[in-house]
Amino acid sequence: MDHDNAFGDLIQDYIAESLPLAETVSDAFLALERRWRDGDTDAADVAGLKGTLHTLKGNSAMMGLTPIQLVAHVLEDLAARILADPVARTEAAAALLVEGSGLLADLVQAAADPAALAGGAEEYAGRVRAHLGAANEPVSQPLRLERRDTERRVDAGADATGTIRVDFRRLDAMLEIFGEAMIERSALLEVYRGLTARYGNGPEIADLDRAVSALGATMKRLESALMQTRLLPIATVFGRFGRAVRGLAQEERKRVRLLIEGDDTRLDKTILDRLGEPLVHLLSNAIVHGVEPEAERVRAGKPPEATVLLRAATLADQVQITVADDGRGLDADRIVAKAKALGLEVPSADREAIYALIFVPGFSTAEQISTVAGRGVGLDAAAAAIHALGGGIEVASETGRGTSFTLTLPLTLAIVRSLIVEVDRERYAVPLSHVAETVRLEPGSLHEINSRGVAMWRGSAIHVADGGQLLGTGATRTAPRNYYVVLFAGPRRRGLLVDRLVGHQDVVVKGLDPTLGRPDVVSGATILGDGRVACILDAAGIVALREVA
Amino acid sequence: MGHATPRPGTFLVVDDSALHHQMYRLIFSRGPLAGSTVYHAMNGREGYALLAAHPELTVVLLDLNMPEMNGLELLSRRQAEGLHPHIPIVLVTTESTPEDEARGRGAGAWDYLRKPFQPTDVERLIARLQADRAPAA
Repeated sequence: MDHDNAFGDLIQDYIAESLPLAETVSDAFLALERRWRDGDTDAADVAGLKGTLHTLKGNSAMMGLTPIQLVAHVLEDLAARILADPVARTEAAAALLVEGSGLLADLVQAAADPAALAGGAEEYAGRVRAHLGAANEPVSQPLRLERRDTERRVDAGADATGTIRVDFRRLDAMLEIFGEAMIERSALLEVYRGLTARYGNGPEIADLDRAVSALGATMKRLESALMQTRLLPIATVFGRFGRAVRGLAQEERKRVRLLIEGDDTRLDKTILDRLGEPLVHLLSNAIVHGVEPEAERVRAGKPPEATVLLRAATLADQVQITVADDGRGLDADRIVAKAKALGLEVPSADREAIYALIFVPGFSTAEQISTVAGRGVGLDAAAAAIHALGGGIEVASETGRGTSFTLTLPLTLAIVRSLIVEVDRERYAVPLSHVAETVRLEPGSLHEINSRGVAMWRGSAIHVADGGQLLGTGATRTAPRNYYVVLFAGPRRRGLLVDRLVGHQDVVVKGLDPTLGRPDVVSGATILGDGRVACILDAAGIVALREVA
Repeated sequence: MGHATPRPGTFLVVDDSALHHQMYRLIFSRGPLAGSTVYHAMNGREGYALLAAHPELTVVLLDLNMPEMNGLELLSRRQAEGLHPHIPIVLVTTESTPEDEARGRGAGAWDYLRKPFQPTDVERLIARLQADRAPAA
């Protein structure tokens, strides 16, 4: 397959438009198969799906993507047959629809990589044609003109009066400009503070005061309006999982029902784009390791069909995503044994802390744990991906009842509410979402145990790391550490020694030059009001660090 | 014998597919049509408003299936209101039946463009429409 096609440059546009359509079809055929199995052979929605397949076929043909065109074509024929003839509504036909629409979605997703398109299509088309039989009368029916009115649109654009489609890069550009305005406002604020300090409270200062706070309020509203334009329903991500879960459950010979709730919850597109993979890890783990084989479930008095719940909900300025199964639960004893074997420090009797060990890099990738202890590959990767998004991940489990992972994510990555701190004259932004408290360091409150700093915080001992050593300025340490900031991620806490607390500020995240700072403790950069570049600390990463002085 | 070459002009594309708009953008920015002005509408309502605002349009490419006023509805309304009857409107269809085409012509479509199409199909069609109108121009 080559892309020597007039529209070859539009391959990403093609994928962006076609993938949601293919996934809609795939999900609908999955639902149809389930319905038919339950004895309800209604096919009312097939007409609309056939129209969508037709659109996919046409788009693929224009792009010169012959294998995709072929799969869409035979699916359309099969759908037409099912519409026309209730007798054709068999389990075999439903299985072919499910398989083909899954293949179609996979092919569309891989459309940019010609090599990926080579296999599968011809073979599948051959089987559909054989199924449709020798008496292959023309089955395509005229399209209903109004079909698109009833089509379910997954994408955000063009479905209601007054909506337009906008290239996401334009929204990014607007945000970039907004970020510059925020920096300029901070600069203005510094000047204002200077003026107040020098001239006190004259009438002009009062006017300036009003103008500055009005500007602040307007900027807040602008920020909120701008953020609203960047949010998309999480259905665009959740929609992909029906097929994946079904396939994996089949491989594992388990019956699994995927329950999706709150898929109209909205999140920044940048986050949505990076959420698919960690969620796939968590879902796979639930199916492969969490859910027991059917016989074991029945013995335990559970329904033979397992339930995996995928739920999203908005909580203030965060989104919480839950992946829960009703399987066997985590085995704390095995996790402890494994941790000891790996030479990890094992928390005392605290169950949550023991469970949290499964997120330690390298822990869950060990083969034994994946087959024996009940949790498998990729949990550390999933946790790392969530942390990279400025989020947190927690696990709860009950033996015999199931396991649930709770992800907490910011609504957006673009603006981070931060505490600005100073360490060795450098300023850093610490995301407030991970700050539990700031504590003034009293003489004698910091102890050294095994050459690690330890402080008592709210009745328990926490490790306190030196900011300068962590950030690489410790050798030229010039200032006394006066405070420590208690960072948290999930159940873990760690203190960070700093010289000064500068204040709170909303910072606009700029991408991080990879040569800047340690990637495991710094997640990005920003520009402060005085024009200085400041690193944004990866608080979750710092809390998770294993070797810290 | 080669086909007549189309000239750049002012075009209106009415389609609910962002992909198709990108395709038209390519077609109208390369080859013989490079330098054309193109207006884009995502549904029939937007399309009708743009048609009303631009009597200088060379050709309108109108998708048949769209939410918010489909191609046939746009044609009918345009006919009823007698809006710029001199501007050729081409109905863009997939596998339409002869009845669909007859309805389209009855409602005032000048020609058809069938999907899937390639740039040369569009260029040829526009050249043909421009040639038809040449004596009057």
